[in-house]
Amino acid sequence: MVELRELAIDYPAGSANARGRVPAVAGASALFPAGGVSAIVGPSGCGKTSVAHAIAGLLAPSSGQVLVDGEPVRGVRGRTAVIFQDFGLLPWRTVEGNAALPLEVAGVGRSARRERVRPVLEELGLSGFGRFYPSSLSGGMKQRVAIARALVSEPDILVMDEPFSSLDALTREAAQEFLLEVRRKRPLSIIVITHSIEEAVYLAQSVFVMSGKNPGTISGRFDIPENEAASRFAARPDPDERADSEGRADFRSAPRYLELCAAIRTALRGSGRTDDGAVA
Amino acid sequence: MTPSRRPGRSSAAGIAIAATFLFGAWAVAAAAVGKPFLPSPAKAAAAFARLAADGALGVHAGASLSRVAWALVASFVPAAALGLAAGRSARVDAVVSPLVYILHPLPKAAFLPIILLAFGLGEASKIFLVGVIIFSQVLVSARDSARRIPRQLIDSVRSLGASRLSLAVLVVVPASLPDLLTSLRVSLGTAVAVLFLAETFATETGLGYLIVDSWARVAYPEMYAAIIAMSLLGLGLFAAVDAAERLLCPWRSYRT
Repeated sequence: MVELRELAIDYPAGSANARGRVPAVAGASALFPAGGVSAIVGPSGCGKTSVAHAIAGLLAPSSGQVLVDGEPVRGVRGRTAVIFQDFGLLPWRTVEGNAALPLEVAGVGRSARRERVRPVLEELGLSGFGRFYPSSLSGGMKQRVAIARALVSEPDILVMDEPFSSLDALTREAAQEFLLEVRRKRPLSIIVITHSIEEAVYLAQSVFVMSGKNPGTISGRFDIPENEAASRFAARPDPDERADSEGRADFRSAPRYLELCAAIRTALRGSGRTDDGAVA
Repeated sequence: MTPSRRPGRSSAAGIAIAATFLFGAWAVAAAAVGKPFLPSPAKAAAAFARLAADGALGVHAGASLSRVAWALVASFVPAAALGLAAGRSARVDAVVSPLVYILHPLPKAAFLPIILLAFGLGEASKIFLVGVIIFSQVLVSARDSARRIPRQLIDSVRSLGASRLSLAVLVVVPASLPDLLTSLRVSLGTAVAVLFLAETFATETGLGYLIVDSWARVAYPEMYAAIIAMSLLGLGLFAAVDAAERLLCPWRSYRT
């Protein structure tokens, strides 16, 4: 379980000569449910990527805390995996080389790496692409490689920073289904950072609204019981049954879904516009 | 999956066409001028074959190549390491960047007399001069290349718990390798030109020496043979860097 307690993050001011720091996030508190999908939604510049980096241990908060299972996060944590917007794949490594990276960093030997990477690539439909370089893959495939890389380290928390925003609309919907499918097979807490309200409402059982700018903060929370793990990931008689995704796709046109989107949009508007005013 | 393009074959054909054109123009010019200082390509080729057969060309070319090779070995790795460190660490950069500003614009060849005085008349001074040229070029490219590495790549590997050393090995070096090889390609061209200058002093080996010596002996066909050999040395070094790039950066051949 991930918890933010009065989290504040600031950065050194742009110019090296200028003294002082720019606040990115202040007073952000949130409790992300364990084992489910949560989303942080907000316009660009609200500091949501900073929050993602703090959860991942990539930057230290200037005050407040990030807690994972009650322990404050200090530095990178082995079982928290991060997927970045452009997937963060190394262009000079093959699909297999990229997927094996966490194990290589951890000092796992070559043959053991291969043994652990193969089944993950297979699960994600990548087994025929092990020797391909990322540049020869489509956006959706690259994202699968990034997911494979994250899963290889057997994480319990997966942080995704704008994971779908570089994909075209149809690929994005497929990728969202794919992510839910991946989640269904393992107990994983997923935190999705996104600027898309629709995406947050479709994926998450708890949507946290971030607003303000320099600093931004978490200003609201919407719970969507329809998306809770218990109902969504309940054991299915046949794992290959595709009817589920059809059923889920209906959620996008359900009145309840549209109401939630409208409510979150109002919450974002009400808390003040940011420079571009672009609330998806 | 095979790369759709075969750079090796097509560039070899291109070089052959360019060389044919060059030799053709030379033959026409030689016939038009009709002076001993511009012998026909045939005479130069005959001198080339004669020098190659009696082993003299091999000795001189070997001496030149070994000077470039030692200069390369001594300068490339330290320059790349220092440049990459400067590109990734503000503290190292604070030391390296002023050094770059002073060192890079200097006409290093003009320091040949000082280098000869400092390092003596032997091999060391020639290797040092060529090495300094390569060093400064590679240092600048390495620093700029390391600065340009997308932050997300660094963060993405850092999020796996990589230490600074593994970040350097897993990200910084491979990300900069294409730029390093490009800087090597550029600096080798300059290095061969400076090698010529260095070999005109205090030595009796090397293609530069052979060119100047033939010139003094009014043996023009031999002078041209040596010039051709020096050009081939440059071409060979170029081709070697290309081959290294294909070997070390296989992912690049998938780019369109």
